[in-house]
Formats: sequence, structure tokens, C-alpha cells
Amino acid sequence: MRGRNAREPEVAIVDLTSMLYVVFILLIFFIVTSIFIQEETLGMEGPPPPSPQQNQDPVPAIVVRVTEDNLIRVNGRLTDISGVRANMERLRAENPSSALIIQAHPRAPSGTIIRVRDQAYNANMERVNVIRDAD
Amino acid sequence: MARRSRGSAAETNAEDDVNLTPMLDVVFILLIFFIVTAVFIKMPGPEINRQQVDNLEATKPLAILIAVDENSDIWIANENVDIEEVGFKIKEMREENSLGELVLQIDESAEAGKMIDLLEIVAQEDGTQISRISTNPRS
Repeated sequence: MRGRNAREPEVAIVDLTSMLYVVFILLIFFIVTSIFIQEETLGMEGPPPPSPQQNQDPVPAIVVRVTEDNLIRVNGRLTDISGVRANMERLRAENPSSALIIQAHPRAPSGTIIRVRDQAYNANMERVNVIRDAD
Repeated sequence: MARRSRGSAAETNAEDDVNLTPMLDVVFILLIFFIVTAVFIKMPGPEINRQQVDNLEATKPLAILIAVDENSDIWIANENVDIEEVGFKIKEMREENSLGELVLQIDESAEAGKMIDLLEIVAQEDGTQISRISTNPRS
């Protein structure tokens, strides 16, 4: 109101408050979107790239097979998801350098594979790969 | 100058004249910074039932989200994509955002074969051996 009383034409009196509101809202929007968009994820290794030499490497491996009907076998022994970790740890104790291979049937549910991989993290397994079982 | 003289003339309500210009400058600079660094992520679309796991970590910034729904269909940016086109789509989206993380949203009842195909494609396109699978914390 006082700005209008001033007789001489003045540029500096432009009211910036409402513009400041808009700018603040935009600022808060961009801060929020830049910080809060994230996903909780689990790391998963796919099949190893084909190596030049075709002969099998001699490292012993623990094989977890997940069949089409969602049955889990650790080196041939039938188990369920809660027994996977104990089986892995037992086999690793026998052969500490073992790699872990999760062999999944193409029509097995992905959730089971992810849980087996999660159990492998719990058991601190190294060199884990998920490969495709033959049909 | 005219302002200052008026301010001293009416001393009773001097707060009316707080100069907002420097603050506006600062806020503008922050705003431009956040706009420039903001990345708009294209959501895949379908609702995914994520597997609950113990070992998860927060992954950000995100760049590419690929979803596999319960019927094992692959979705990128609200589009149903063929498995053969996924590699091309990843290349295309990497041109816009080369730094962020690529996350796979896999439904827990999707076929494992599709997931392994995607793991292979992502390893080939992104050169990373470990892919990130979106999961939920175990309650």
C-alpha cells in the first residue's frame, strides 16, 4: 500500500512474496523427488559369461535346484526353504572352497529363487550364480 | 535509495520492507540445482508382489526400472516389451541417464526363466555381474 503512495515510478517495489511461495513449492517438490525415490533391492548374479575353454572348472560346487513344482534340492537332497541355509553351510564346511549354483527350472517361481539367494547371503556364500535348468 | 529514506521515515512498521531479493536469489539457485539434478524415472506400470527378504539395501539414484508381472510379461515405462527388445530399450534409456541404477521388479510368481533371461541381458548391456532385484523387507 505504501508503494502506491510513492509518486515517482519505481521498479523496485514489485511484490516478490507470492513468487517466493511458488519458487519454494517447486524447490520442495524437487528436493523431495530427488531424495525419496529409491528401491530396496537384493543383488543377484546371473549365469556366468561363457568362458573360452569349454571344460568344466574343477571347483566343487553346491547345487541348489529349484524344480518346476517349487521343490528345492540341495545337492540332490530334498529340503524346504528354511533348511536351505543349514544344508549350504554343512556342504561348505565339508568343502570350504565351494561355489554355489542356483539351478532354476525356467517355470519355477522367481520368488523361490530370490529367497534361496537371500539365504545364501545369510550364509555368507561367495561366488553365487543363478543358472537355467534344462527343461 | 528511495526505499531506505522511506523506511526511516516510517519506523513503526519497518518489517514491511524486509528485502527478499537475496533470499530469492539463493532459493532460485537451489531450485535450478535440484531441477538439473532431478531425473524423471519412468515407472514400469504393473503392480508387483515383491519377495520378502532379509538382505536388502537401499538403491538410489534410480535410472531404469524393468518389471516382470505375475504372467511373466515384461514392462518398461508402461509398455509391454518383448524379451528381444529389452536390450535395445536399455540402450535407449541409458542415453538419457547413464549413471543411475537399473532395478528389476520381479513378481514372486513370475517364471524364473524370464528372470534369468533378464539377468543375462542386463549383464550384457550394463556390464555388471550383479543385478538389483526389487524386494520388500521381511516383516
